[in-house]
Amino acid sequence: MDNRIALIGVLVSFGLVAGFWWKARTGRAKLVRSGELVDLSKLKATKGGKPVQNFGKVATLVQFSTEVCSICVATARLFRDLEKTTPGLKHIEVDITDRMDLAAHFSIMQTPTTLILDKHGMVKARIGGAPRPNVVTEELKKLEQK
Amino acid sequence: MTPKQLDPRGPRFGAGITSILMILVIYFSLDPQTINLALGIMVFAVVMFTFGSLLGPAKHPYSYLYKYTLRKFLKAPTELEAPRPVHFAQVVGLIVTGTGLVLHLLAVPNALPIAAAAAFVAAFINAVFAYCLGCQMYLGLKRLGVIR
Repeated sequence: MDNRIALIGVLVSFGLVAGFWWKARTGRAKLVRSGELVDLSKLKATKGGKPVQNFGKVATLVQFSTEVCSICVATARLFRDLEKTTPGLKHIEVDITDRMDLAAHFSIMQTPTTLILDKHGMVKARIGGAPRPNVVTEELKKLEQK
Repeated sequence: MTPKQLDPRGPRFGAGITSILMILVIYFSLDPQTINLALGIMVFAVVMFTFGSLLGPAKHPYSYLYKYTLRKFLKAPTELEAPRPVHFAQVVGLIVTGTGLVLHLLAVPNALPIAAAAAFVAAFINAVFAYCLGCQMYLGLKRLGVIR
């Protein structure tokens, strides 16, 4: 067989493996074992024009977005709906377009990146990319059991 | 100022064309008899990336091709996409294919198939999985201070 066809086959397979690997990883919650306590004053997050000063009574979703991110908008909508239907849940969106200090501090390489915090503001889990359905609800169940 | 939002399937369609072009470049560049055909296709791809880099994704020739062909058979997009990362990805594509072209013209062996292979993988993943490698690099490079 023509070696060139084999080479193209290798490249296509590589693309497929890389693509499926990414698909399998994105939107999943990753547990953060020794999470840090998030400092709300450093985030400088606002909600409805006012600075956010308290965490959610059960959990807080901190969503990092940029202005060049399209899936961030859909993610924020999903979280806002969840916030309405879940008592004790608070959603905070932080635009990091001009906050590279935050991107570096939380090692954010993609947006949206979402941190799930417990009631004390401790980072418990992290979701890279657009969250899969039910991922957040399942993580919240874990937090409520504690 | 908010730039016009994109139908995300447009850039994927363009990435599909780029993947096919890059496969042809790889195939023809590995035979000395057809290497000039590969060169011609690569020049075309570089010109297309230049259009994308200068005009932005909304005015890309592939974008018009998409609008007047495939778009007619599809439903309205459920989500729109910000053009800036896509625009940036066009620049990344231009750098990769352009470097391959220049090195080939400087007689560096296998510059064409290597550059085409890199561009192929990125374009293929974009077309098939809607994962835009160039767009992902945007935040990373911004963090490193390479772009503003």
